[in-house]
Amino acid sequence: MHPSITSLLLIALSTSTIITMSSYHWMFAWAGLEINMLSMLPLISKEHHPRAVEATMKYFMTQAAASAMLIFASTINAWQTAQWDISLLTPSTPMMMLTLAITMKLGLAPFHFWLPEVSLGTTNSVMLIITTWQKLAPLAIIILLHNSLNHHLLTSLGLLSMVVGGWGGMNQLQIRKIMAYSSIAHMGWVVMILPKAPDLSLLYLMLYIMLNLTMFLIIISTALTKLTSLFSTQNKSFPMMILMALTLLSMGGLPPMTGFLPKWLILQELIYQHQTQMATLASLSTLLSLFFYLRLVFNAFLTTPPNTSNVTKNWRNQTNHHILLPQMMILSLMLLIITPLVISLF
Amino acid sequence: MPTILFNLGLAFMTSMMGLSLQRSHLISALLCLEGMMLTLFLMLTTWATEQQSSLLFSALMMLLTLSACGAGTGLSLLVTTTRTHGSSNMNNLNLLQC
Repeated sequence: MHPSITSLLLIALSTSTIITMSSYHWMFAWAGLEINMLSMLPLISKEHHPRAVEATMKYFMTQAAASAMLIFASTINAWQTAQWDISLLTPSTPMMMLTLAITMKLGLAPFHFWLPEVSLGTTNSVMLIITTWQKLAPLAIIILLHNSLNHHLLTSLGLLSMVVGGWGGMNQLQIRKIMAYSSIAHMGWVVMILPKAPDLSLLYLMLYIMLNLTMFLIIISTALTKLTSLFSTQNKSFPMMILMALTLLSMGGLPPMTGFLPKWLILQELIYQHQTQMATLASLSTLLSLFFYLRLVFNAFLTTPPNTSNVTKNWRNQTNHHILLPQMMILSLMLLIITPLVISLF
Repeated sequence: MPTILFNLGLAFMTSMMGLSLQRSHLISALLCLEGMMLTLFLMLTTWATEQQSSLLFSALMMLLTLSACGAGTGLSLLVTTTRTHGSSNMNNLNLLQC
């Protein structure tokens, strides 16, 4: 693709997200989401092979249906209350439809099937955009509405997508699909805590974006595609593999790393609100995700040269380190020690 | 007026069901998508005439423009799918399941 077209698409992508986040009228929020989808489609189908076209088709279908449902919900709301402000969506039926539309846009559990398939059809950098930047606009809408959300619906969707994300990622061999399922599981955490403490869900989203950015920068710089390519990656850069293992454990939420911070705060908030069953279910479903993170770590490390491996060695061991990688690595590993500062930011 | 809202909502829901249950051909899914957008256009125009508000007319133009863009993108994707997959049946889109 020509660089000017790519830069135009990226500008449209960022501008449309900002339009949606700063809009006050439902029509502008919808227009922002639509422009966002339209500028994402050429980026997904950038590679000229059938898989990319199929991924584009699936992305287009789900996102177009979700944004049509969103504007339908706000039109019903306008018929009932004669209001178009985003913050004034109060009746329960439009609220539920809107929640389902946002869920479809985010790729949460009952509507999650498009996300792993789109992830397989695109490049790593486009998948990075889908799992981080594309989550911001729908979550901005739903965070604006957190006063009138349906608690039971969001909580059950969040728990379901945690379990589905953990369960679905177990049997996958492609790194991008594993990352897509981990995105589903993390979005479940964000949405579960949203009606109870929106600041915590914002904190979780920011830390998730940071961890995901680090992980995808590692994946891009070592050109990882599938699980078997992890066997030979440590020839490329051994320190990076150690840091990748630590980042994965941080995504799984193990204590000395950053990923434990938001999970800790969310579990504490749930226990303060006397919802210990939900806290138990949430922390148990993290174990499912932790299993496939640990499997990645196992394949990267415990198959080192003293053991025999029947995987062919890489021909080229060239890596191109991204300039952002060291800073992101430090942030995604060591943020737990400044927890009070991080909490005071949100 | 609730009758109009009920009928249009029913039309939207029928198109939505068609989109989600239609498994045979891509063009019928795209037609269902267009049906949803046209029902939304009708809902917005009836709302504007009933409230006698002219504020929404620019919003209506925006809706028409963006839904036309969506329809154009859908058709171009249909053409691309036909070129890459051989036909535009929905059950051909199974490369990414594994």
